Amino acid sequence: MIRKTHGKRTWFAAAVLAAGSLLATSLPAHAETGVTSNSIKLGITLPLTGFASPGYSKIGNAMDAYFKYVNDNGGVYGRKITLVQKDDQYSPQLSIAKTNELILKDKVFALVGPLGTANFTAVHKSVGLPRRKVPALFLNTGFSGFANKKKFPTSFTILPSYAMEAKIVSQFLKENFAGKKLGLVYQNDEFGIDALGAFKDAGVKFDVSIPYTSGTQSAATAQTWVSQLASGGAQVVVFFGVTSATAPLLAVAAAAKYAPQWILGSVGSDPLTLQVLGVPVAVLNGALTPAGNPSPNDLTDEYVKQFQEINDKYNKAAFDDYVLQGMNLGLMTVQALRAAGPRLTRRGLIKAMENKGSTFASVAYSPLGYSRTSNVGHTGYYMAVMGPTGDRKPYGGKVTLYTTDSGKGPVVKSDFKRPAMPAKGLPNNS
Amino acid sequence: MESWREARCVVAKVVGGNTGSKVRKKLALFFLIGWILLIIGDRVDELRVYQGAQIAMYTIALASIVLLTGYSGQVSLGNGAMMAVGGYAAALTLNNLQTPIWSAFMMAILVAALFGAFLGLAAARLSGPYLAGTTLALAVGLPAIANQFSFLGGEPGLLFDVGFPPERFGEDFTQYKWFFWIATFIALIALFVTSNILQSRFGRTWRAIRGNSLAAELSGINASQLKVLAFSVSSGLAGLAGAVLAMTISLVAPGAYTLALSFALVTGAVLAGISSLPGVVLGGFILVAIPEIADALASSLGSEDKLNSYLPGLIVSVLLILSVIYTPNGPGENLRKHFHKKSAH
Amino acid sequence: MQKALETLLIGLSTGSIYALMSLALVLVWRSTRVINFAQAGQAMFSTYIGFEIATRSQIFWLGLLFAIVAGALLGAGVDYFFMRVLFKHANSGPALVVAPVIATLGLLGLIRSIVGLTWGGEFKSLTAPASKNGFTFGEVTIPFSPLDSLTIITVAVILIILALLFQRTNLGLALRASAYSPEIAQLAGIRTARTRTIGWAIAGGVGGVAGMLVTSYNFLTPYSLDLLLVFGFIAAVIGGLESMVGAVIGALVLGIGLTIILNYVGTSLVFIGGFSVLLLVLLIKPDGIMARGKVRRG
Repeated sequence: MIRKTHGKRTWFAAAVLAAGSLLATSLPAHAETGVTSNSIKLGITLPLTGFASPGYSKIGNAMDAYFKYVNDNGGVYGRKITLVQKDDQYSPQLSIAKTNELILKDKVFALVGPLGTANFTAVHKSVGLPRRKVPALFLNTGFSGFANKKKFPTSFTILPSYAMEAKIVSQFLKENFAGKKLGLVYQNDEFGIDALGAFKDAGVKFDVSIPYTSGTQSAATAQTWVSQLASGGAQVVVFFGVTSATAPLLAVAAAAKYAPQWILGSVGSDPLTLQVLGVPVAVLNGALTPAGNPSPNDLTDEYVKQFQEINDKYNKAAFDDYVLQGMNLGLMTVQALRAAGPRLTRRGLIKAMENKGSTFASVAYSPLGYSRTSNVGHTGYYMAVMGPTGDRKPYGGKVTLYTTDSGKGPVVKSDFKRPAMPAKGLPNNS
Repeated sequence: MESWREARCVVAKVVGGNTGSKVRKKLALFFLIGWILLIIGDRVDELRVYQGAQIAMYTIALASIVLLTGYSGQVSLGNGAMMAVGGYAAALTLNNLQTPIWSAFMMAILVAALFGAFLGLAAARLSGPYLAGTTLALAVGLPAIANQFSFLGGEPGLLFDVGFPPERFGEDFTQYKWFFWIATFIALIALFVTSNILQSRFGRTWRAIRGNSLAAELSGINASQLKVLAFSVSSGLAGLAGAVLAMTISLVAPGAYTLALSFALVTGAVLAGISSLPGVVLGGFILVAIPEIADALASSLGSEDKLNSYLPGLIVSVLLILSVIYTPNGPGENLRKHFHKKSAH
Repeated sequence: MQKALETLLIGLSTGSIYALMSLALVLVWRSTRVINFAQAGQAMFSTYIGFEIATRSQIFWLGLLFAIVAGALLGAGVDYFFMRVLFKHANSGPALVVAPVIATLGLLGLIRSIVGLTWGGEFKSLTAPASKNGFTFGEVTIPFSPLDSLTIITVAVILIILALLFQRTNLGLALRASAYSPEIAQLAGIRTARTRTIGWAIAGGVGGVAGMLVTSYNFLTPYSLDLLLVFGFIAAVIGGLESMVGAVIGALVLGIGLTIILNYVGTSLVFIGGFSVLLLVLLIKPDGIMARGKVRRG
């Protein structure tokens, strides 16, 4: 009974839809979700509170500040951008719930910069982004699994993957620390395991290897890590985890007077946040870290200088790596929105990313890999060393950029030169 | 032996071999409710449909608390853990044995009921705070086990994919609507069965035990056996709810079954009347509505981070405290008292 | 051998903090027959106050003092304004079993929300009164630090003070009498209601110390004391809710047991380990370790 009438209704609905769509394509601009004639609504899920929030919680406000700057200067083809931030406390379940809210309740046009590997994996499957055709730009995670355009047709990464990072670190280890005892501490979910696989492929063997479960990082667990590393005699320790795990590790090691050569993965290495979390600055001196961007204090860099000016006027936060990252995400997003044209649709946005994304201006040194067959953003790092105040400078004095892929490709030195920062930080691409 | 025969009787009644007109009326009522829900599901937008699935899930979970605490008087703070057991059982079955979805849900009930029986055996001698403490420890400890064994998926968890809706429903029939249909269907069946159990001899015996277990024992009731049974059945229900929860987020992970969930369930049960089965529907509504209302309130007061994170908690806590003080047995009790007063005049 | 000694020492240090919490819970249970989940909220609030004072004055002990006072005041307030109202209204029906549990849970949520709205959820760092570096003996550094030993000493001092209070003073006698049998105590002229409130105040103050000690190891957020509550509760149940000595013993047993699991088995199984320890004890002695035969049940 129900089924029959439902079936009849479905045919009728389909017919109406077909007729309607024929008409619609001949009309001028039609209303896309989240877009009106003078506004665009975007959404982001990130840890604003909770154990993973130190540092990352600033990214959303930085993006928002940049959007406000653009809005004050004409917006994107006259449309003002609003960013809806939702706190998911780094929990995949909350990411799902909040993303549902963003898409079903707030009705955002697209997701930008969603943070977290496990989080986005859960969201992508559970909320069904491809089926809904919702674009997810500039995923704030380096999990190499997302670089699969077939599986993630509407998503685009921006950070180099952890596999790429591990390969570059492996190269660096081979070139500079051959023969030393190596230790590794990593978060044992897709985040850290991504890197682990790449290390294995590159032939790097760790004498001490310590996985930790996300959420269990604390002074107590860090004690166990340090005793294992120290008793294993590790002279170089590589760390792949979040900042709130780097902090206890470094603090406990300092207290125990254990001072190996630290190589901190790009994710958990922001010096300002580490200091807030109680790591004495002296410990960071000499630590190495793969970096994609210039130092946030480097005012000779045109991107940093422009972002700092915008930050001073529109944001209330101290300018650090996270604010830099957030503003850059904003810059990239605005370029993508412009490239999609005044008739803004979700499909158009995705096409724009594929066709023009690789030419966008970004503060990072490595080239962008977007194309019709690839949804991968940046593809490389340079090694940086932290100074006595935690500030980072390129290792060896100048930036030596390495690029690679997430697969078995080689690690090569690259001569790539970044596009210039658009005048006044306001993109005018199309 | 006696109780086995009784058990068979109840099962027979429950499965519907009964000709009692009361049961038939109830069956008709449930059909009607189901029909209405289906129609509503067609008219509302996707967000509401999704929330409908969540409400269905909560009603099943709350029913388990009504049975365990409201009827048999055992306070458990660990229903979240039982939900986790059910969720993982369903996911493991679906992913590894390639069975149809329905058997995954059945496994959830069975495995959770088994766990519940074990827990009940261990906990039969415990009362009041000792039982609460034990179940609290379980609620905190059990989900974390997923991080120890890799086949349980660790922190990111396991996929639980019930598949897309059948194609003949058309393109407009979204995934979330499919969840709503399945969840509602399961909830209606579960509530029907639970209602019959509670109105049977078992229900009455549980209430006798809750009232005064010494007197119950003196009239020949084997209190500990029945307590274990209560634990088992209630856990089975909780396990089912856990599987339904997993379906709605397509995921089983430790983070979905936190201590906060256990607390929220007990809260919902108290708010809706801890010994009232019809109240679980209200409880489910409340559990889904409050975060919504709090969110709306928070955003109208300004979108500061602090407000958004802590205002919902404030509202829930105040509501909870007020309701525990003024309607500790649920709004139903006050209404009944009110009507009694009226009829007495 | 060294690892075993380390495990024992750290277990003692961890257990001693749980002891404060379990003591507070037992204190309230014996006087009011309620498991006060809001204890975590009270401790949290006291710790935030203590944190503010300690950070401004740079003196940990001053902050601790304020935490104790704040905890005591809040504890007394909760009993006077909240518990009495609760017992007046919720005194019948099937919810009687559950009502106080839910009420204190609600109170915990309320306090947490207020703290969150006032101070925000960011991680706050408290400067510890002693160093967290492990003691060094020549080449060897053990994970047991001056802070750990300070914790044990502080807790021991408090336990001695409380023991003296309960055994040697009139107030202590009144507290014990009211807890054992309120009716008879009243007949003997003890003002039971006031005594009960004092008991709550003591519990609140003790909770504040626990919160400050825990926070000197980790960060302070509106959620950071939840685990303390859970373990404090488990410890209290292990020891048998009827005796304060039991609360301490239960806490030490739990602390050592958990550290053994942490060091020898793995971090993910710590919580289920707690559950197993609890279940094991209760299977043998359903009323806890220190239960002596027929104990009055609530």
